Amino acid sequence: MAESPRSGPRSRQLLLRIRRGLFASPLDTVITVVLAVLCGGGLWSFLHWVFLQADWAVVVENIRLYIHGRLPVDQVWRSWSWLGLLGTLCLVTLMPAGMLPRPVLRLLPLLWILILPIGLLLLASGLGLEPVKSRFWGGLQLSLLLTLGTILMALPLGILLALARRSSLPLLRWLTTGYIEITRGMPLIAVLFFGQLMIPLFLPEGWTLNRVLRAVLSLGFFVAAYMAEDVRGGLQAIPRTQLEAARSLGLSPLQTIILVELPQALRTALPSLANQCVASLQSTSLLAYLGLIELLGISRSILGNPDYLGRHLEVYIWLALLYWLVCILMTSLARRVERSLNVTGHH
Amino acid sequence: MSLEPLAPGRLSGRRKRLLLILLQVAIGLLVLGVIALLLTNLQVNLLRRGLGLSFDWLGEPARFPLSRGLLPYRTEDSYAWAFVVGLVNSLQVVVVGLVLATILGVVGGAANFSSNWLLRQLASLYVAVARNVPPLLHLLFWYFVVFLGLPAARSGVGAVAGLLRLPVSVEFVALLIGLTVYTGAYISEVVRGGINSVPRGQWEAARSLGFGEGRTLRLIILPQALRAILPGLNSQYINLAKNSTLAIAVGYSDLFSIVNTTFNQTGRSIEAFALLVLVFVAVDLLISGVMNILNRLVLRHG
Amino acid sequence: MLAKSFKRFAIAPLLVALASCATAPEEKVSLLEQVKSRGELKCGISGGLPGFSSLTPQGAYTGLDVDICRAVAAAALGDADNVAYTPLTAAQRFTALSSGEIDLLSRNTTQTLSRDAGGGNGLTFAPVVFYDGQGVLVRRDSGVTTLEDLAGETFCSKAGTTTERNLNDVMQARGIPFEPLNFDQDQDRNQAYTEGRCAAMTADRSSLNSARSGFAAPDDHMILDEVLSKEPLAPATADGDARWGDAVRWVVYGLMAAEELGITQSNIDARVAAATDGEEQENAALRRFLGIEGDLGSKLGLPNDFVVQAVGAVGNYGEIYDRHLGPDTPTFIPRGLNASFTEGGLHYAPPFN
Repeated sequence: MAESPRSGPRSRQLLLRIRRGLFASPLDTVITVVLAVLCGGGLWSFLHWVFLQADWAVVVENIRLYIHGRLPVDQVWRSWSWLGLLGTLCLVTLMPAGMLPRPVLRLLPLLWILILPIGLLLLASGLGLEPVKSRFWGGLQLSLLLTLGTILMALPLGILLALARRSSLPLLRWLTTGYIEITRGMPLIAVLFFGQLMIPLFLPEGWTLNRVLRAVLSLGFFVAAYMAEDVRGGLQAIPRTQLEAARSLGLSPLQTIILVELPQALRTALPSLANQCVASLQSTSLLAYLGLIELLGISRSILGNPDYLGRHLEVYIWLALLYWLVCILMTSLARRVERSLNVTGHH
Repeated sequence: MSLEPLAPGRLSGRRKRLLLILLQVAIGLLVLGVIALLLTNLQVNLLRRGLGLSFDWLGEPARFPLSRGLLPYRTEDSYAWAFVVGLVNSLQVVVVGLVLATILGVVGGAANFSSNWLLRQLASLYVAVARNVPPLLHLLFWYFVVFLGLPAARSGVGAVAGLLRLPVSVEFVALLIGLTVYTGAYISEVVRGGINSVPRGQWEAARSLGFGEGRTLRLIILPQALRAILPGLNSQYINLAKNSTLAIAVGYSDLFSIVNTTFNQTGRSIEAFALLVLVFVAVDLLISGVMNILNRLVLRHG
Repeated sequence: MLAKSFKRFAIAPLLVALASCATAPEEKVSLLEQVKSRGELKCGISGGLPGFSSLTPQGAYTGLDVDICRAVAAAALGDADNVAYTPLTAAQRFTALSSGEIDLLSRNTTQTLSRDAGGGNGLTFAPVVFYDGQGVLVRRDSGVTTLEDLAGETFCSKAGTTTERNLNDVMQARGIPFEPLNFDQDQDRNQAYTEGRCAAMTADRSSLNSARSGFAAPDDHMILDEVLSKEPLAPATADGDARWGDAVRWVVYGLMAAEELGITQSNIDARVAAATDGEEQENAALRRFLGIEGDLGSKLGLPNDFVVQAVGAVGNYGEIYDRHLGPDTPTFIPRGLNASFTEGGLHYAPPFN
């Protein structure tokens, strides 16, 4: 194709690409035009609403509630410091591996496990601080605590379940298979309902578990069944030759599991495990219907305030944005971990 | 994992087998023990409240009113019938939702392979937004913002329902759309993955035969992708069935909301919950069964 | 060896679970003693019903139901602030009580036979603190004045409460067809009503009143004169703990008797002084009531001056009512049946003897 010297090859190519991408055939042109009109119209009215019609006071004036829930004002710094730590940890994890000294890199998994106990220490008790009762926890901070707690409980449990489901002991296999399949068949809201309303009936008299703990327990047991299946998928993908190699090296079954099978299975299962983590965050929103004031719950109480009548769209869009951001953050963290595992895997 | 002796001579085969049997007995006893303890606690707790476990109440009149649905229901009917009504209401949403979400998902998934840039971008925008927002928020948005907030949307539903002479309520439509949009995003990812699994050569071959984009997709690519798509669809369908219990947020009388009301009125939480679990396991098995048959058909003819 | 790995993997958690469940239920100790040794009363409330229990901007709970909790805490613990409030949904409230998550349920709960009876929810009710009735809220401009005007219309109500059944009973008896629409949460029901999804909303008249006070234009809505049912709202405790139930019952009676005797939060110290060695020291009934003489309180397991503690902390029943539902509040409800019997109402405390 001869190119005229005046319009450089680059702009020419761009034009060609636009033509190929948008107006290749008459049908394509029609689709493009219709979609463009619809998108343009939608975007225009959305922006018009966002900047001119929407009243963002319901978001701006209650930002503290969305983030920290009903935490007493003089205690908010504790929530901030935890969120700050969590944010820093995310940033550090997302940094390119080359920029971090190796010890920090090694410490990262440990830090991720420790961030939950640190949060509990900061919020609940310890460090010589006055304890904040769990009924004051709320907002985004509670959603994140619930999510982290769920993941930290479900992942090990899911791995154990996956191993048990592949065990050579028939009884163990049947029990775990039954547990996994029944749990995966149940609607989450029913499981949470069970956790909030019925767990107390199965405890000895006089025993109580606080609500946040009951929520994490029920979410954890639920998500573990899904993670178990992901891990099992990863285990199945391991070539048999690997196991034979491990055996010929004289590794014991336990060593084979820990040193050979699990690392590979987890690496394979990582994308689906990450999806489960994102799903856990989304699941916490159901607790709004069971009396917890996590992000959605606190938003609903704000919407119940007569000062903000009818401001649903603003609140829901703000919530969608928050959830979306956290989900995206979780996904990119998972990608980062995946990439670094692949790098180390090639050693 | 296999169990052949690893370090020969340390354990004889028979002793090992005995050990394994003993181990299983121990596990069985432990599990039984834990279950027995929990049940004892339950018994003690229920007795303290003067309740035993029983299903006699299922025959008693439910006496709570329900919105009109597919099945006739009067308040003199039994709890058992109310559950059936709820189940049918749930199935109504699930079945229609399955169809709509599949259509949306296939269109969304296929749009990723369109030569039209704008269409591709829109498809990935849809997936990125819909998947990363909790399903509950989807429902609240559709019900409270769209259908309750816009009188036009509401009267539109009323007009369509009147035209079709169907008991279609705003709550049903909001639940349906919310579930469809959320599940559709996941299905479109499944479809995209399935289409990706078809070798690129097939596209080129079809093009060289003079097939247009749409026909290539419909006649050549999708049938081959189906094999990779069906297993993923199965779990999305089950998820949709389970998410239909979020009806509780929009005032639609599905099975779970009726079970929930029953908890309250009879105090029979354990029994009602057990029924709910049974029904859901049955629905999941049904979906998986149908999908397995489909899968086999595809494998045979595909 | 494999066995070993499984022992570590599977058995350890099970053992822990077993050990944690294996402790035999200890000897039954009344909740009253548990509350006293804990130093805190765990009280279940609604949390979203202005006038009965709602959050102040400072994050504290306030309302008539809340003050009942405070009175019991003051009587049992000597400090009305030692209360842990748990907001509960309608569905959660009874399990929360029977599981011990809360000691006292003070959450606009209607006393009914099946909730009281052992074969039902198995509660023990304290005296009624608010005589309510189910009402119907409609838009003022709809022209509706009777239930008959609402034939064929949609009614928003809350699932799992007595209201949906009462509505059905009344409408059926009068042959009026209607469409029910049940929501799990108050807030959703209110919103569906204000957005025009239903022509009428039904709930206890007190709840309708406080819901309406939160609407954009409360005066555009009115409660029909018709009352569909009797809704005596009472605090409740779990069955099978008579000692705790008695203590709660007599604290509530104490609040009512104090109103009858003209004892208020502001004059209680003076009245105690007068009854101890002042002009009222001959009034044996008053001296017993205030715990200066006799051992009425300790019979219940409470301090003898439990009424003084309770009234000193929250005032008498009339004062509590006026504070949250009186004419100066946005949630004003005329006292009507809720006046003391001396004023023609239904609140009547048995003798403190």
